[in-house]
Amino acid sequence: MTTASAGISAVGQLRRFELRRRWRQLNAESRWGVVILALILLLSVSVPLLSPNDPYGFVDQPLQPPSATFLFGTDHLGRDLLVRVFAAARLDIALAILGVSVPIVIGTFIGTLAGTTRNRIAETVWDGLVNALTAFPEIILVLGIVAMVGADVRGLLIAIWISRWAQYARIARAKSLALRDAEFVQAAQVLGYSQLRILIRHIMPNVFSEALAYALSDFIFIIVIIGGLSFLGLGVTPPTPEWGAMLAEGRLYLRTEPWLILFPGFFLSLTAIGVALLAQGLERISKGEDE
Amino acid sequence: MRRLAQAFFVAFLLMVFAFLLIRLIPGDPAMILLGDQATEEDVIAYRKLLGIDGSIPSQFGRYVANLVRGDFGVSIRSREPVLSIVQKRLPISLWLTVTTIFMTVLLALPLGVAAALYRRTWFGHAFQIGASVLVATPVFFSGLLLILLFAVQINFAPIAGYQAGFPANLYYLWLPALTINFVLVPVLARILQSSIVETAAEEFVEAAVIRGTQGWRFYWRYLLRPSLAPTIAALGYFAATVVSYAVIIEIIFNLPGIGMTLVDAVRNRDYPLVQGIVFLSGLLVVGLTFMADLVNGWLDPRAKIR
Repeated sequence: MTTASAGISAVGQLRRFELRRRWRQLNAESRWGVVILALILLLSVSVPLLSPNDPYGFVDQPLQPPSATFLFGTDHLGRDLLVRVFAAARLDIALAILGVSVPIVIGTFIGTLAGTTRNRIAETVWDGLVNALTAFPEIILVLGIVAMVGADVRGLLIAIWISRWAQYARIARAKSLALRDAEFVQAAQVLGYSQLRILIRHIMPNVFSEALAYALSDFIFIIVIIGGLSFLGLGVTPPTPEWGAMLAEGRLYLRTEPWLILFPGFFLSLTAIGVALLAQGLERISKGEDE
Repeated sequence: MRRLAQAFFVAFLLMVFAFLLIRLIPGDPAMILLGDQATEEDVIAYRKLLGIDGSIPSQFGRYVANLVRGDFGVSIRSREPVLSIVQKRLPISLWLTVTTIFMTVLLALPLGVAAALYRRTWFGHAFQIGASVLVATPVFFSGLLLILLFAVQINFAPIAGYQAGFPANLYYLWLPALTINFVLVPVLARILQSSIVETAAEEFVEAAVIRGTQGWRFYWRYLLRPSLAPTIAALGYFAATVVSYAVIIEIIFNLPGIGMTLVDAVRNRDYPLVQGIVFLSGLLVVGLTFMADLVNGWLDPRAKIR
Protein backbone atom coordinates (compact mmCIF):
# COMPACT_ATOMS: atom_id res chain seq x y z
CA MET A 1 0.00 0.00 0.00
CA THR A 2 2.80 2.43 0.84
CA THR A 3 4.97 2.35 -2.28
CA ALA A 4 3.26 2.85 -5.58
CA SER A 5 4.69 0.40 -8.10
CA ALA A 6 5.47 1.59 -11.58
CA GLY A 7 2.60 -0.30 -13.17
CA ILE A 8 -0.13 1.63 -11.43
CA SER A 9 -1.65 4.42 -13.43
CA ALA A 10 -2.18 7.92 -12.12
CA VAL A 11 -5.94 7.34 -12.06
CA GLY A 12 -5.53 4.27 -9.90
CA GLN A 13 -3.32 6.19 -7.52
CA LEU A 14 -5.82 8.99 -7.30
CA ARG A 15 -8.59 6.56 -6.57
CA ARG A 16 -6.56 4.93 -3.84
CA PHE A 17 -5.82 8.28 -2.34
CA GLU A 18 -9.51 9.09 -2.36
CA LEU A 19 -10.31 5.78 -0.65
CA ARG A 20 -7.75 6.44 2.03
CA ARG A 21 -9.17 9.89 2.66
CA ARG A 22 -12.66 8.41 3.05
CA TRP A 23 -11.33 5.77 5.41
CA ARG A 24 -9.80 8.44 7.64
CA GLN A 25 -13.15 10.19 7.94
CA LEU A 26 -14.77 7.09 9.42
CA ASN A 27 -15.01 6.42 13.13
CA ALA A 28 -14.19 3.13 14.86
CA GLU A 29 -17.71 1.74 14.59
CA SER A 30 -18.13 2.27 10.89
CA ARG A 31 -14.60 0.99 10.23
CA TRP A 32 -15.47 -2.27 11.96
CA GLY A 33 -18.65 -2.40 9.88
CA VAL A 34 -16.69 -1.95 6.66
CA VAL A 35 -14.12 -4.58 7.67
CA ILE A 36 -16.80 -7.15 8.57
CA LEU A 37 -18.77 -6.56 5.38
CA ALA A 38 -15.67 -6.64 3.19
CA LEU A 39 -14.64 -9.93 4.78
CA ILE A 40 -18.04 -11.51 4.18
CA LEU A 41 -18.19 -10.26 0.60
CA LEU A 42 -14.68 -11.52 -0.08
CA LEU A 43 -15.46 -14.96 1.35
CA SER A 44 -18.79 -15.22 -0.42
CA VAL A 45 -17.11 -14.52 -3.74
CA SER A 46 -13.99 -16.60 -3.25
CA VAL A 47 -15.13 -19.69 -1.35
CA PRO A 48 -17.68 -21.06 -3.86
CA LEU A 49 -15.27 -20.07 -6.66
CA LEU A 50 -12.18 -21.77 -5.25
CA SER A 51 -13.74 -24.81 -3.64
CA PRO A 52 -14.06 -27.88 -5.86
CA ASN A 53 -17.27 -28.85 -4.03
CA ASP A 54 -20.71 -28.11 -5.42
CA PRO A 55 -23.12 -26.51 -2.90
CA TYR A 56 -25.86 -28.86 -4.12
CA GLY A 57 -23.80 -32.01 -4.51
CA PHE A 58 -22.97 -34.91 -2.22
CA VAL A 59 -19.30 -34.85 -1.26
CA ASP A 60 -18.76 -37.17 1.67
CA GLN A 61 -20.36 -39.00 4.56
CA PRO A 62 -23.25 -36.92 6.05
CA LEU A 63 -23.15 -35.11 9.42
CA GLN A 64 -19.37 -34.96 9.83
CA PRO A 65 -18.15 -32.50 12.45
CA PRO A 66 -15.86 -29.68 11.31
CA SER A 67 -12.45 -31.01 10.28
CA ALA A 68 -9.44 -30.04 8.20
CA THR A 69 -11.01 -31.37 4.99
CA PHE A 70 -14.45 -29.89 5.69
CA LEU A 71 -13.89 -26.74 7.73
CA PHE A 72 -17.58 -26.37 8.65
CA GLY A 73 -18.39 -30.10 8.51
CA THR A 74 -20.99 -31.73 6.27
CA ASP A 75 -24.78 -31.50 6.47
CA HIS A 76 -27.48 -34.18 6.66
CA LEU A 77 -27.24 -34.87 2.92
CA GLY A 78 -23.45 -35.04 2.91
CA ARG A 79 -22.92 -31.63 1.36
CA ASP A 80 -20.01 -29.32 2.18
CA LEU A 81 -21.36 -26.80 4.70
CA LEU A 82 -18.57 -24.28 4.07
CA VAL A 83 -19.47 -23.92 0.41
CA ARG A 84 -23.18 -23.81 1.23
CA VAL A 85 -22.78 -21.10 3.86
CA PHE A 86 -21.00 -18.79 1.43
CA ALA A 87 -23.17 -19.67 -1.53
CA ALA A 88 -26.00 -18.65 0.78
CA ALA A 89 -24.18 -15.40 1.56
CA ARG A 90 -24.23 -14.54 -2.15
CA LEU A 91 -27.94 -15.27 -2.44
CA ASP A 92 -28.99 -13.56 0.78
CA ILE A 93 -27.00 -10.40 0.17
CA ALA A 94 -28.16 -10.22 -3.45
CA LEU A 95 -31.80 -10.74 -2.43
CA ALA A 96 -31.54 -8.15 0.33
CA ILE A 97 -30.03 -5.59 -2.07
CA LEU A 98 -32.81 -6.36 -4.53
CA GLY A 99 -35.29 -6.05 -1.68
CA VAL A 100 -33.98 -2.64 -0.63
CA SER A 101 -33.41 -1.11 -4.06
CA VAL A 102 -36.94 -1.31 -5.44
CA PRO A 103 -38.75 0.29 -2.47
CA ILE A 104 -36.13 3.04 -2.25
CA VAL A 105 -36.74 4.08 -5.86
CA ILE A 106 -40.53 3.70 -5.77
CA GLY A 107 -40.85 5.25 -2.33
CA THR A 108 -38.60 8.18 -3.13
CA PHE A 109 -40.43 8.84 -6.38
CA ILE A 110 -43.89 8.70 -4.79
CA GLY A 111 -42.73 10.74 -1.82
CA THR A 112 -41.19 13.45 -4.01
CA LEU A 113 -44.34 13.52 -6.08
CA ALA A 114 -46.41 13.96 -2.95
CA GLY A 115 -44.03 16.56 -1.60
CA THR A 116 -44.08 18.75 -4.68
CA THR A 117 -47.79 18.63 -5.40
CA ARG A 118 -49.89 21.49 -4.10
CA ASN A 119 -53.15 19.59 -4.27
CA ARG A 120 -54.89 19.64 -0.89
CA ILE A 121 -56.97 16.48 -1.36
CA ALA A 122 -53.97 14.51 -2.53
CA GLU A 123 -52.13 15.59 0.60
CA THR A 124 -54.86 14.39 2.94
CA VAL A 125 -55.29 11.03 1.24
CA TRP A 126 -51.53 10.69 1.24
CA ASP A 127 -51.23 11.31 4.98
CA GLY A 128 -53.80 8.67 5.83
CA LEU A 129 -52.41 6.08 3.45
CA VAL A 130 -48.76 6.32 4.40
CA ASN A 131 -49.48 6.56 8.12
CA ALA A 132 -51.68 3.51 7.85
CA LEU A 133 -49.06 1.56 5.94
CA THR A 134 -46.30 2.37 8.40
CA ALA A 135 -48.62 1.50 11.31
CA PHE A 136 -49.31 -1.96 9.87
CA PRO A 137 -47.75 -4.88 11.77
CA GLU A 138 -44.83 -5.71 9.48
CA ILE A 139 -44.49 -9.47 9.58
CA ILE A 140 -48.24 -9.97 9.37
CA LEU A 141 -48.44 -7.74 6.32
CA VAL A 142 -45.60 -9.63 4.66
CA LEU A 143 -47.17 -13.00 5.49
CA GLY A 144 -50.53 -11.86 4.13
CA ILE A 145 -48.97 -10.82 0.82
CA VAL A 146 -46.93 -14.02 0.63
CA ALA A 147 -50.13 -16.01 1.14
CA MET A 148 -51.59 -14.13 -1.79
CA VAL A 149 -48.71 -14.11 -4.26
CA GLY A 150 -47.17 -17.46 -3.41
CA ALA A 151 -44.77 -18.89 -0.85
CA ASP A 152 -41.58 -18.61 -2.91
CA VAL A 153 -38.76 -16.14 -3.64
CA ARG A 154 -40.91 -14.13 -6.02
CA GLY A 155 -43.72 -13.84 -3.46
CA LEU A 156 -41.23 -12.89 -0.77
CA LEU A 157 -39.67 -10.11 -2.85
CA ILE A 158 -43.04 -8.73 -3.91
CA ALA A 159 -44.18 -8.74 -0.29
CA ILE A 160 -41.06 -6.83 0.75
CA TRP A 161 -41.45 -4.33 -2.06
CA ILE A 162 -45.08 -3.64 -1.22
CA SER A 163 -44.54 -3.34 2.50
CA ARG A 164 -41.32 -1.31 2.63
CA TRP A 165 -41.77 1.69 0.33
CA ALA A 166 -43.86 3.84 2.66
CA GLN A 167 -41.02 4.81 4.99
CA TYR A 168 -38.93 6.06 2.06
CA ALA A 169 -41.90 7.98 0.75
CA ARG A 170 -42.24 9.64 4.14
CA ILE A 171 -38.59 10.69 4.20
CA ALA A 172 -38.69 11.88 0.59
CA ARG A 173 -41.83 13.90 1.15
CA ALA A 174 -40.46 15.70 4.17
CA LYS A 175 -37.27 16.58 2.27
CA SER A 176 -38.93 17.63 -0.96
CA LEU A 177 -41.41 19.87 0.85
CA ALA A 178 -38.39 21.93 1.80
CA LEU A 179 -36.92 21.72 -1.70
CA ARG A 180 -39.89 22.63 -3.83
CA ASP A 181 -39.30 26.35 -3.33
CA ALA A 182 -35.52 26.15 -3.59
CA GLU A 183 -33.82 28.46 -6.03
CA PHE A 184 -32.46 25.77 -8.31
CA VAL A 185 -35.96 24.32 -8.70
CA GLN A 186 -37.34 27.72 -9.58
CA ALA A 187 -34.52 28.14 -12.04
CA ALA A 188 -35.42 24.86 -13.69
CA GLN A 189 -39.03 25.97 -13.90
CA VAL A 190 -38.04 29.23 -15.52
CA LEU A 191 -36.01 27.28 -18.05
CA GLY A 192 -39.24 25.57 -19.00
CA TYR A 193 -38.31 22.03 -18.03
CA SER A 194 -41.20 19.65 -17.64
CA GLN A 195 -42.54 18.82 -14.21
CA LEU A 196 -41.36 15.21 -14.49
CA ARG A 197 -37.87 16.22 -15.52
CA ILE A 198 -37.55 18.63 -12.58
CA LEU A 199 -38.80 15.89 -10.30
CA ILE A 200 -36.41 13.22 -11.49
CA ARG A 201 -33.33 15.20 -12.42
CA HIS A 202 -33.40 18.02 -9.89
CA ILE A 203 -35.31 17.06 -6.77
CA MET A 204 -34.89 13.30 -6.48
CA PRO A 205 -31.06 13.33 -6.39
CA ASN A 206 -31.18 15.70 -3.43
CA VAL A 207 -33.68 13.56 -1.59
CA PHE A 208 -31.78 10.36 -2.25
CA SER A 209 -28.96 10.84 0.23
CA GLU A 210 -31.33 10.81 3.16
CA ALA A 211 -33.15 7.78 1.83
CA LEU A 212 -29.83 5.96 1.50
CA ALA A 213 -29.09 6.50 5.17
CA TYR A 214 -32.36 4.85 6.06
CA ALA A 215 -31.74 2.08 3.52
CA LEU A 216 -28.88 0.73 5.63
CA SER A 217 -31.12 0.00 8.59
CA ASP A 218 -33.79 -1.23 6.22
CA PHE A 219 -31.26 -3.67 4.76
CA ILE A 220 -30.90 -5.32 8.17
CA PHE A 221 -34.65 -5.69 8.51
CA ILE A 222 -34.97 -7.12 5.01
CA ILE A 223 -32.14 -9.64 5.26
CA VAL A 224 -33.65 -10.84 8.54
CA ILE A 225 -37.12 -11.06 6.99
CA ILE A 226 -35.75 -13.03 4.03
CA GLY A 227 -34.03 -15.42 6.41
CA GLY A 228 -37.04 -15.54 8.69
CA LEU A 229 -39.59 -16.38 6.03
CA SER A 230 -37.28 -18.91 4.46
CA PHE A 231 -36.85 -20.36 7.94
CA LEU A 232 -40.62 -20.75 8.09
CA GLY A 233 -40.54 -22.48 4.71
CA LEU A 234 -42.26 -19.57 2.97
CA GLY A 235 -39.40 -18.04 1.00
CA VAL A 236 -36.31 -19.64 -0.47
CA THR A 237 -36.78 -23.38 -0.14
CA PRO A 238 -34.25 -26.22 0.13
CA PRO A 239 -32.09 -27.43 -1.54
CA THR A 240 -31.14 -23.83 -2.45
CA PRO A 241 -28.47 -22.65 0.01
CA GLU A 242 -30.00 -19.83 2.02
CA TRP A 243 -29.18 -18.99 5.64
CA GLY A 244 -32.72 -19.11 7.02
CA ALA A 245 -33.62 -22.29 5.15
CA MET A 246 -30.35 -23.88 6.31
CA LEU A 247 -31.21 -23.00 9.91
CA ALA A 248 -34.59 -24.66 9.48
CA GLU A 249 -32.93 -27.81 8.11
CA GLY A 250 -30.19 -27.84 10.73
CA ARG A 251 -32.65 -27.30 13.54
CA LEU A 252 -33.64 -30.96 13.37
CA TYR A 253 -30.09 -31.92 14.32
CA LEU A 254 -29.72 -29.33 17.07
CA ARG A 255 -29.07 -31.86 19.81
CA THR A 256 -26.31 -33.80 18.12
CA GLU A 257 -24.90 -31.69 15.28
CA PRO A 258 -25.19 -28.05 16.42
CA TRP A 259 -22.66 -26.77 13.88
CA LEU A 260 -25.36 -27.13 11.22
CA ILE A 261 -27.07 -24.05 12.67
CA LEU A 262 -24.05 -22.34 14.21
CA PHE A 263 -22.29 -21.51 10.93
CA PRO A 264 -25.19 -20.20 8.84
CA GLY A 265 -26.65 -18.36 11.85
CA PHE A 266 -23.31 -16.81 12.72
CA PHE A 267 -22.71 -15.42 9.25
CA LEU A 268 -26.26 -14.14 8.89
CA SER A 269 -25.92 -12.33 12.22
CA LEU A 270 -22.46 -11.09 11.34
CA THR A 271 -23.75 -9.55 8.11
CA ALA A 272 -26.56 -7.81 9.96
CA ILE A 273 -24.15 -6.65 12.68
CA GLY A 274 -21.69 -5.31 10.10
CA VAL A 275 -24.40 -3.24 8.44
CA ALA A 276 -25.68 -2.10 11.84
CA LEU A 277 -22.23 -0.92 12.92
CA LEU A 278 -21.72 0.90 9.63
CA ALA A 279 -25.14 2.57 9.90
CA GLN A 280 -24.58 3.57 13.50
CA GLY A 281 -21.12 4.92 12.81
CA LEU A 282 -22.26 6.95 9.82
CA GLU A 283 -25.15 8.34 11.82
CA ARG A 284 -22.82 9.47 14.58
CA ILE A 285 -20.55 11.11 12.01
CA SER A 286 -23.42 12.99 10.38
CA LYS A 287 -24.60 14.17 13.79
CA GLY A 288 -21.07 15.37 14.48
CA GLU A 289 -20.77 13.45 17.73
CA ASP A 290 -17.23 12.30 17.10
CA GLU A 291 -14.13 14.46 17.08
CA MET B 1 -59.47 12.54 18.46
CA ARG B 2 -57.20 12.63 15.45
CA ARG B 3 -55.48 9.52 16.69
CA LEU B 4 -58.80 7.74 17.11
CA ALA B 5 -59.82 8.64 13.57
CA GLN B 6 -56.46 7.43 12.34
CA ALA B 7 -56.77 4.16 14.23
CA PHE B 8 -60.19 3.61 12.67
CA PHE B 9 -58.82 4.40 9.25
CA VAL B 10 -56.02 1.87 9.69
CA ALA B 11 -58.55 -0.71 10.89
CA PHE B 12 -60.66 -0.02 7.82
CA LEU B 13 -57.65 -0.43 5.51
CA LEU B 14 -56.86 -3.65 7.33
CA MET B 15 -60.35 -4.87 6.55
CA VAL B 16 -60.02 -3.94 2.88
CA PHE B 17 -56.61 -5.63 2.74
CA ALA B 18 -57.99 -8.80 4.30
CA PHE B 19 -60.90 -8.69 1.85
CA LEU B 20 -58.60 -8.28 -1.14
CA LEU B 21 -56.34 -11.07 0.12
CA ILE B 22 -58.39 -13.80 -1.53
CA ARG B 23 -59.56 -11.76 -4.49
CA LEU B 24 -56.16 -10.69 -5.74
CA ILE B 25 -54.78 -14.21 -5.95
CA PRO B 26 -53.82 -14.78 -9.56
CA GLY B 27 -56.30 -17.29 -10.94
CA ASP B 28 -59.34 -18.81 -9.31
CA PRO B 29 -58.66 -19.77 -5.67
CA ALA B 30 -61.31 -22.49 -5.81
CA MET B 31 -59.52 -24.06 -8.79
CA ILE B 32 -56.13 -23.74 -7.07
CA LEU B 33 -57.44 -25.51 -3.99
CA LEU B 34 -59.31 -28.25 -5.81
CA GLY B 35 -56.90 -28.99 -8.63
CA ASP B 36 -57.64 -29.72 -12.28
CA GLN B 37 -59.91 -32.67 -11.75
CA ALA B 38 -62.57 -30.68 -9.89
CA THR B 39 -66.16 -30.92 -11.02
CA GLU B 40 -68.22 -27.84 -11.82
CA GLU B 41 -70.38 -28.28 -8.69
CA ASP B 42 -67.35 -28.57 -6.41
CA VAL B 43 -65.89 -25.34 -7.75
CA ILE B 44 -69.17 -23.50 -7.26
CA ALA B 45 -69.53 -24.86 -3.73
CA TYR B 46 -65.96 -23.83 -2.89
CA ARG B 47 -66.49 -20.36 -4.26
CA LYS B 48 -69.46 -20.05 -1.97
CA LEU B 49 -67.38 -21.29 0.97
CA LEU B 50 -64.74 -18.66 0.25
CA GLY B 51 -67.34 -15.96 -0.29
CA ILE B 52 -66.17 -15.22 -3.82
CA ASP B 53 -69.41 -15.79 -5.70
CA GLY B 54 -71.33 -12.83 -7.09
CA SER B 55 -70.12 -9.33 -7.94
CA ILE B 56 -67.28 -7.65 -6.06
CA PRO B 57 -69.44 -4.97 -4.35
CA SER B 58 -71.94 -7.59 -3.17
CA GLN B 59 -69.03 -9.72 -1.93
CA PHE B 60 -67.70 -6.79 0.03
CA GLY B 61 -71.14 -6.04 1.49
CA ARG B 62 -71.53 -9.60 2.64
CA TYR B 63 -67.99 -9.66 4.00
CA VAL B 64 -68.50 -6.55 6.11
CA ALA B 65 -71.91 -7.73 7.32
CA ASN B 66 -70.41 -11.07 8.36
CA LEU B 67 -67.55 -9.37 10.17
CA VAL B 68 -69.98 -7.24 12.15
CA ARG B 69 -71.83 -10.39 13.19
CA GLY B 70 -68.51 -11.93 14.22
CA ASP B 71 -68.51 -14.41 11.35
CA PHE B 72 -65.03 -14.75 9.90
CA GLY B 73 -65.77 -17.74 7.71
CA VAL B 74 -64.66 -21.32 8.17
CA SER B 75 -61.23 -22.86 7.80
CA ILE B 76 -60.95 -24.90 4.62
CA ARG B 77 -58.79 -27.49 6.32
CA SER B 78 -60.68 -28.24 9.49
CA ARG B 79 -64.06 -26.74 8.58
CA GLU B 80 -63.98 -25.06 11.95
CA PRO B 81 -65.13 -21.43 12.28
CA VAL B 82 -62.10 -19.12 12.06
CA LEU B 83 -63.21 -17.22 15.15
CA SER B 84 -63.25 -20.31 17.34
CA ILE B 85 -59.77 -21.30 16.12
CA VAL B 86 -58.50 -17.84 17.00
CA GLN B 87 -60.20 -17.97 20.40
CA LYS B 88 -58.47 -21.24 21.12
CA ARG B 89 -54.99 -20.15 19.99
CA LEU B 90 -54.88 -16.50 21.00
CA PRO B 91 -54.48 -16.99 24.80
CA ILE B 92 -51.11 -18.66 24.25
CA SER B 93 -49.85 -15.71 22.22
CA LEU B 94 -51.19 -13.27 24.80
CA TRP B 95 -49.45 -15.15 27.59
CA LEU B 96 -46.26 -14.98 25.58
CA THR B 97 -46.70 -11.23 25.11
CA VAL B 98 -47.37 -10.57 28.79
CA THR B 99 -44.45 -12.71 29.94
CA THR B 100 -42.18 -11.00 27.44
CA ILE B 101 -43.12 -7.47 28.43
CA PHE B 102 -42.84 -8.31 32.13
CA MET B 103 -39.35 -9.65 31.53
CA THR B 104 -38.43 -6.63 29.40
CA VAL B 105 -39.19 -4.27 32.26
CA LEU B 106 -37.36 -6.44 34.76
CA LEU B 107 -34.19 -6.52 32.64
CA ALA B 108 -34.21 -3.16 30.91
CA LEU B 109 -34.69 -0.93 33.96
CA PRO B 110 -31.49 -1.88 35.82
CA LEU B 111 -29.54 -2.13 32.56
CA GLY B 112 -30.67 1.26 31.33
CA VAL B 113 -29.92 2.94 34.65
CA ALA B 114 -26.51 1.29 34.90
CA ALA B 115 -25.71 2.19 31.29
CA ALA B 116 -26.57 5.82 32.02
CA LEU B 117 -24.64 6.06 35.28
CA TYR B 118 -21.53 4.30 33.99
CA ARG B 119 -21.72 5.74 30.51
CA ARG B 120 -18.08 6.73 30.29
CA THR B 121 -16.63 3.52 31.73
CA TRP B 122 -15.91 0.17 30.12
CA PHE B 123 -19.41 -0.95 31.08
CA GLY B 124 -20.99 1.80 29.01
CA HIS B 125 -18.94 0.88 25.95
CA ALA B 126 -19.59 -2.82 26.40
CA PHE B 127 -23.29 -2.00 26.65
CA GLN B 128 -23.23 -0.01 23.40
CA ILE B 129 -21.50 -2.78 21.47
CA GLY B 130 -23.48 -5.58 23.08
CA ALA B 131 -26.72 -3.78 22.33
CA SER B 132 -25.92 -3.37 18.61
CA VAL B 133 -24.87 -7.00 18.34
CA LEU B 134 -28.01 -8.31 20.06
CA VAL B 135 -30.41 -6.10 18.12
CA ALA B 136 -28.95 -7.21 14.80
CA THR B 137 -29.06 -10.93 15.62
CA PRO B 138 -32.19 -12.52 14.12
CA VAL B 139 -34.50 -14.05 16.73
CA PHE B 140 -34.66 -17.36 14.90
CA PHE B 141 -30.92 -17.75 15.42
CA SER B 142 -30.72 -16.47 18.99
CA GLY B 143 -33.72 -18.67 19.82
CA LEU B 144 -31.95 -21.76 18.54
CA LEU B 145 -28.80 -20.78 20.45
CA LEU B 146 -30.78 -20.41 23.66
CA ILE B 147 -32.44 -23.80 23.14
CA LEU B 148 -29.00 -25.26 22.60
CA LEU B 149 -27.73 -23.68 25.79
CA PHE B 150 -30.64 -24.05 28.19
CA ALA B 151 -32.60 -27.03 26.95
CA VAL B 152 -29.94 -29.27 25.42
CA GLN B 153 -26.84 -28.50 27.48
CA ILE B 154 -28.18 -27.86 30.97
CA ASN B 155 -31.77 -29.05 30.77
CA PHE B 156 -33.18 -25.92 32.30
CA ALA B 157 -36.15 -25.60 29.98
CA PRO B 158 -38.19 -27.81 27.69
CA ILE B 159 -36.95 -27.92 24.10
CA ALA B 160 -40.38 -26.97 22.84
CA GLY B 161 -44.04 -27.39 23.49
CA TYR B 162 -46.68 -25.89 25.71
CA GLN B 163 -48.91 -26.70 28.63
CA ALA B 164 -51.84 -24.48 29.50
CA GLY B 165 -52.52 -22.98 32.90
CA PHE B 166 -50.65 -20.49 35.05
CA PRO B 167 -48.01 -20.95 36.50
CA ALA B 168 -47.15 -24.23 34.77
CA ASN B 169 -47.07 -22.44 31.39
CA LEU B 170 -44.25 -20.14 32.52
CA TYR B 171 -41.90 -23.11 32.35
CA TYR B 172 -42.59 -23.23 28.61
CA LEU B 173 -42.74 -19.48 28.07
CA TRP B 174 -39.66 -18.08 29.75
CA LEU B 175 -37.18 -19.10 27.09
CA PRO B 176 -39.23 -17.79 24.13
CA ALA B 177 -39.81 -14.59 26.09
CA LEU B 178 -36.08 -14.27 26.77
CA THR B 179 -35.38 -14.72 23.05
CA ILE B 180 -37.64 -11.83 22.09
CA ASN B 181 -36.04 -9.79 24.85
CA PHE B 182 -32.66 -10.19 23.23
CA VAL B 183 -34.01 -7.61 20.80
CA LEU B 184 -36.35 -5.62 23.03
CA VAL B 185 -34.20 -5.11 26.13
CA PRO B 186 -31.26 -3.39 24.37
CA VAL B 187 -33.65 -1.06 22.56
CA LEU B 188 -35.57 -0.15 25.72
CA ALA B 189 -32.44 0.14 27.85
CA ARG B 190 -30.99 2.54 25.28
CA ILE B 191 -34.11 4.69 25.34
CA LEU B 192 -34.00 4.79 29.13
CA GLN B 193 -30.28 5.50 29.12
CA SER B 194 -30.53 8.47 26.80
CA SER B 195 -33.46 9.99 28.67
CA ILE B 196 -31.66 9.65 31.99
CA VAL B 197 -28.60 11.30 30.48
CA GLU B 198 -30.83 14.11 29.28
CA THR B 199 -32.49 14.47 32.67
CA ALA B 200 -29.15 14.51 34.44
CA ALA B 201 -28.23 17.64 32.53
CA GLU B 202 -31.29 19.51 33.85
CA GLU B 203 -30.94 22.25 36.42
CA PHE B 204 -33.18 20.68 39.04
CA VAL B 205 -30.82 17.72 39.24
CA GLU B 206 -27.93 20.04 39.87
CA ALA B 207 -29.98 21.85 42.50
CA ALA B 208 -30.72 18.53 44.21
CA VAL B 209 -27.03 17.67 44.24
CA ILE B 210 -26.17 21.04 45.77
CA ARG B 211 -28.90 20.61 48.40
CA GLY B 212 -27.22 17.35 49.27
CA THR B 213 -29.99 14.95 48.31
CA GLN B 214 -28.56 11.47 48.38
CA GLY B 215 -29.26 7.78 48.07
CA TRP B 216 -32.45 6.24 46.76
CA ARG B 217 -34.42 9.42 47.07
CA PHE B 218 -32.06 11.19 44.69
CA TYR B 219 -31.98 8.40 42.12
CA TRP B 220 -35.71 7.87 42.10
CA ARG B 221 -37.14 11.40 42.38
CA TYR B 222 -34.56 13.34 40.44
CA LEU B 223 -33.21 10.90 37.90
CA LEU B 224 -35.44 7.94 37.22
CA ARG B 225 -38.97 9.26 37.62
CA PRO B 226 -38.63 12.27 35.31
CA SER B 227 -37.03 10.01 32.67
CA LEU B 228 -39.62 7.26 32.55
CA ALA B 229 -42.16 8.70 30.11
CA PRO B 230 -40.46 7.68 26.84
CA THR B 231 -39.70 4.24 28.25
CA ILE B 232 -43.30 3.56 29.23
CA ALA B 233 -44.52 4.80 25.88
CA ALA B 234 -42.06 2.52 24.08
CA LEU B 235 -43.31 -0.43 26.12
CA GLY B 236 -46.76 0.06 24.64
CA TYR B 237 -45.36 -0.10 21.11
CA PHE B 238 -43.31 -3.14 22.08
CA ALA B 239 -46.46 -5.04 22.94
CA ALA B 240 -47.44 -4.56 19.30
CA THR B 241 -43.99 -5.64 18.11
CA VAL B 242 -44.17 -8.84 20.14
CA VAL B 243 -47.26 -9.88 18.19
CA SER B 244 -45.13 -9.70 15.04
CA TYR B 245 -42.18 -11.56 16.56
CA ALA B 246 -44.49 -14.20 17.99
CA VAL B 247 -44.98 -15.57 14.46
CA ILE B 248 -41.38 -16.79 14.24
CA ILE B 249 -40.88 -17.49 17.94
CA GLU B 250 -43.92 -19.76 18.14
CA ILE B 251 -42.57 -21.88 15.31
CA ILE B 252 -39.14 -22.24 16.90
CA PHE B 253 -40.50 -23.16 20.32
CA ASN B 254 -43.44 -25.11 19.01
CA LEU B 255 -46.00 -22.98 20.83
CA PRO B 256 -49.43 -23.55 19.27
CA GLY B 257 -50.37 -19.86 19.33
CA ILE B 258 -51.82 -17.53 16.75
CA GLY B 259 -48.52 -17.08 14.90
CA MET B 260 -48.06 -20.77 14.32
CA THR B 261 -51.66 -21.01 13.15
CA LEU B 262 -51.02 -18.20 10.66
CA VAL B 263 -47.89 -19.82 9.24
CA ASP B 264 -49.66 -23.18 8.90
CA ALA B 265 -52.58 -21.47 7.21
CA VAL B 266 -50.27 -19.75 4.71
CA ARG B 267 -48.54 -23.07 3.98
CA ASN B 268 -51.85 -24.89 3.48
CA ARG B 269 -53.39 -22.10 1.43
CA ASP B 270 -56.19 -21.97 3.97
CA TYR B 271 -57.29 -18.56 2.66
CA PRO B 272 -60.22 -17.86 5.04
CA LEU B 273 -58.03 -18.63 8.03
CA VAL B 274 -55.20 -16.39 6.75
CA GLN B 275 -57.73 -13.66 6.09
CA GLY B 276 -59.24 -13.92 9.56
CA ILE B 277 -55.92 -13.99 11.40
CA VAL B 278 -54.41 -11.16 9.38
CA PHE B 279 -57.44 -9.04 10.18
CA LEU B 280 -57.76 -9.95 13.86
CA SER B 281 -54.08 -9.80 14.78
CA GLY B 282 -53.72 -6.62 12.76
CA LEU B 283 -56.64 -5.20 14.73
CA LEU B 284 -54.94 -6.24 17.96
CA VAL B 285 -51.77 -4.41 16.95
CA VAL B 286 -53.66 -1.31 15.88
CA GLY B 287 -55.49 -1.33 19.22
CA LEU B 288 -52.26 -1.72 21.18
CA THR B 289 -50.56 1.05 19.21
CA PHE B 290 -53.54 3.31 19.78
CA MET B 291 -53.41 2.69 23.51
CA ALA B 292 -49.67 3.34 23.52
CA ASP B 293 -50.34 6.63 21.73
CA LEU B 294 -52.90 7.58 24.38
CA VAL B 295 -50.56 6.76 27.26
CA ASN B 296 -47.78 8.59 25.49
CA GLY B 297 -49.90 11.71 25.05
CA TRP B 298 -50.95 11.56 28.69
CA LEU B 299 -47.41 11.16 29.99
CA ASP B 300 -45.79 13.62 27.68
CA PRO B 301 -48.10 16.40 26.47
CA ARG B 302 -45.52 17.46 23.89
CA ALA B 303 -46.25 14.30 21.92
CA LYS B 304 -49.86 15.37 21.34
CA ILE B 305 -48.97 18.38 19.29
CA ARG B 306 -46.91 16.41 16.84
